[in-house]
Amino acid sequence: MAVTGRFVLLVALGVIPVVAAGISGADAAWLALVGWLALAVGAGALDLSLAASPRRVALTRELPDRVRLGETVTAELSVQNLGQRMLRAVVRDGWEPSAGVAGPNRTPLRIPPGERRRTTLRLTPWRRGDRRTDQVTIRAAGPLGLWARQATLAAPGRLRVLPPFHSRAHLPSRLTRLREIDGRTPLLIRGQGTEFDSIREYVRGDDVRSIDWRATARHADPEVPGSMKLMVRTWRPERDRRIVIVADTSRTAAARIADEPRLDTAWEAALLLAALASHAGDRVDFLAWDRRLRGRVHGASGAELLARMVDTMADVDAELIEADWTAVPGQVRRVTSRHALVVLLTAADSPGSARGLLSVLPQLTARHTVIVASVADPALVAASRARGSLDEAYAAAAAERALLDGERVAAAIRRLGAITVTAPPHELPPALADRYLDLKASGRL
Amino acid sequence: MTVTAPSPGPSAAPAITPTLRAQVRRRRAWIVIAVVLVLGALVLLVVQGGMRAPGPALGADNPAPAGSKALVEVLRAQGVTVTEAATIDEALAGARAGSTVFLFDELGILGEERLDELSAAADRLVIAQPGFAALERLAPGVRLAGLASGPIDDVACDLRPARRADALSDGQRLLTVDDAAAASGWTGCFRDGDLGYALVSGPGASGGEVALVAATTAFTNEHVDEAGNAALALGLLGASDELVWYLPSPTDADEAAAPTIADLTPGWVTPVMVLAIAVAIVAGVWRGRRFGPLVVEQLPVQVPAGETSEGRARLYARSAARTHALDQLRIGAIERIAALLRLPRPAEVATVAEAAASATGRDAASVARLLLSDSPAHDREFVDLAADLDALEQDVRRSIRPDPDDPTRPTGRRP
Repeated sequence: MAVTGRFVLLVALGVIPVVAAGISGADAAWLALVGWLALAVGAGALDLSLAASPRRVALTRELPDRVRLGETVTAELSVQNLGQRMLRAVVRDGWEPSAGVAGPNRTPLRIPPGERRRTTLRLTPWRRGDRRTDQVTIRAAGPLGLWARQATLAAPGRLRVLPPFHSRAHLPSRLTRLREIDGRTPLLIRGQGTEFDSIREYVRGDDVRSIDWRATARHADPEVPGSMKLMVRTWRPERDRRIVIVADTSRTAAARIADEPRLDTAWEAALLLAALASHAGDRVDFLAWDRRLRGRVHGASGAELLARMVDTMADVDAELIEADWTAVPGQVRRVTSRHALVVLLTAADSPGSARGLLSVLPQLTARHTVIVASVADPALVAASRARGSLDEAYAAAAAERALLDGERVAAAIRRLGAITVTAPPHELPPALADRYLDLKASGRL
Repeated sequence: MTVTAPSPGPSAAPAITPTLRAQVRRRRAWIVIAVVLVLGALVLLVVQGGMRAPGPALGADNPAPAGSKALVEVLRAQGVTVTEAATIDEALAGARAGSTVFLFDELGILGEERLDELSAAADRLVIAQPGFAALERLAPGVRLAGLASGPIDDVACDLRPARRADALSDGQRLLTVDDAAAASGWTGCFRDGDLGYALVSGPGASGGEVALVAATTAFTNEHVDEAGNAALALGLLGASDELVWYLPSPTDADEAAAPTIADLTPGWVTPVMVLAIAVAIVAGVWRGRRFGPLVVEQLPVQVPAGETSEGRARLYARSAARTHALDQLRIGAIERIAALLRLPRPAEVATVAEAAASATGRDAASVARLLLSDSPAHDREFVDLAADLDALEQDVRRSIRPDPDDPTRPTGRRP
């Protein structure tokens, strides 16, 4: 049960009869007061008994399945009055706060018996993952609008909020670079990741080592009889290389650097790399790992790859547990037994927390090309510069220590044969994409 | 409510809120306990209220602790005719008939004229707890002097009832008698050290006798049986066969005196205040009723990344590890300078110092000291050295890549 503002007003209006009666005497005023309160409560009770039941209501939802973080969707809720009375209701949909309901979330409705009305809410979620609503609360007032009946009904709904993929702004420029690599023939550097493309005439600047003498012998120069045209082989980056992205979702991923959790930066970097690599014709697999497999995308390509990746990422949050790196080589092996580019999105910033990673890196680098991408904290660099006061000087020393630790870990990683990519949160995705393009161009994939 | 047979179509959404009946069933034990408590409280109230209605203080027929029924009954048993008076006219009639008049004017209702009339008419006037106005009028020079320090047994006068009483219980108030009052015949009894007297007697306006008892203690049912209270009260009030027990009512107030707030307010003010309280309660219910249960949000854990670094800085500061902290800054500076000057990677510190000195034009020895051996003796020096390190690094950076906006830069080649 609930009372309305109108009932409060009704009670307050009692001042008129009380004062009017009070002119003749105090006793009459008291009598008027008691009478008015009785009248108001009686009217309220009558109103309540005439109110429609908020329980005899059918609810149906119409919700979009997914939305990118930061975008707005409309969530519709149909309320059907199954009772015999006019339903004068105010409806509240029990969305989580982070679903970002616009406005007060109180929808007034008047539904005649048997009819159906639709309410529309605009949602702008401000947190990734599944945003849920479990209940709808209906407050049904009587015909006088004094007292109301209230009930909460189960009406579960779910809206999956996908990672925003802000780093897609970097994609066009990287795709341009990718096309440049493709067209640059012959490659000066040949390696495992390049494949034979075609044979064409030598032009100045080509590597003399790529002259194909047998092809030259077959090609007589029509303009100068008896002489040959020099022919060179051209190469292009090999397609269908495998890329395995392993994102660390353990406690280090919960750290918030420059107002972005490390995990979100990892998602951005993984999405940009996946988008770029799938355009380049490589096969991308994605693993989210701490002590168990938190998410996995395997065997998808093209647009489906990104769709499945954001869907997998949506509901994964960092957990306060230590990552189990010993199982990572096994997980990678389950994805592919061939040579692959393994990208580890983690935090390599202190010798203590990187010990597990360092212990398994040799196993990975023996088979694969490994990139360890981690987020650098720009606040540390700023702190190491500020030396005005005693506190600042100590903070600078501590920040310097942290930076040196990170350097040491990075050096250890490089010594074990892996490649490190370290950048502030907003620069990590493009930096990782650039490093991928470098590897691609040099045929080291 | 009528329930129709479910027709094929949408079914009602399952309710999470329990029905009223279910709620009552679930909370039956608590409801029963609450009802029992409320009933018990009501019963207690009725029984207690019936037994001891508070009644007026020093009321002649009031058996409550603050009443005086005990004293009045004893006086009646002694053959004194006790007449209760509620108006000044009744009291004056009794006084003119020669009765002793007992006056207790708790609220200070009687005005100056009425007091004068009364003291002129009465042969014997006993005033319990006289107010400031009454003292000013009837006994100028006698003043209120606060509470007594304890039981009083120093009679200090020749008044017969006082001599018989011999001592008074705790809880007395005191009056002082100044020299002018003493000269005009006012004497004090029951002295409490130098503080004052519990009883002051003297001549009335028309030669009658006036006794001022500073406290009501001696007359109340609760304390009348303590020490010599009863003897004093009976002695003062039982001096004649007739006693008028006068407790003034509001109608005795002087016409000229200012009306009280109660007289000024119209009758509807209190009901309107009650109504305002009711409105406040209803408004509270209106705004306070929650629109459905709270929605729980599962927040992911997030840790500010700088915490370890800040914690370490505080550890350095607490242990005053200046040398250690400076070494961290030195290692960082040396590495960066070596990288800037393109020195081979594990570079000797001395080599780096030399290279930095030659790049910046500083004194080689002082740069080496800064990078290697200077040890900060106190905080000020530590801060200075840290700043010097930063300045050296900036200098090296500037010598490698002159700032294009720097006007002091030597203008050599121009593009």
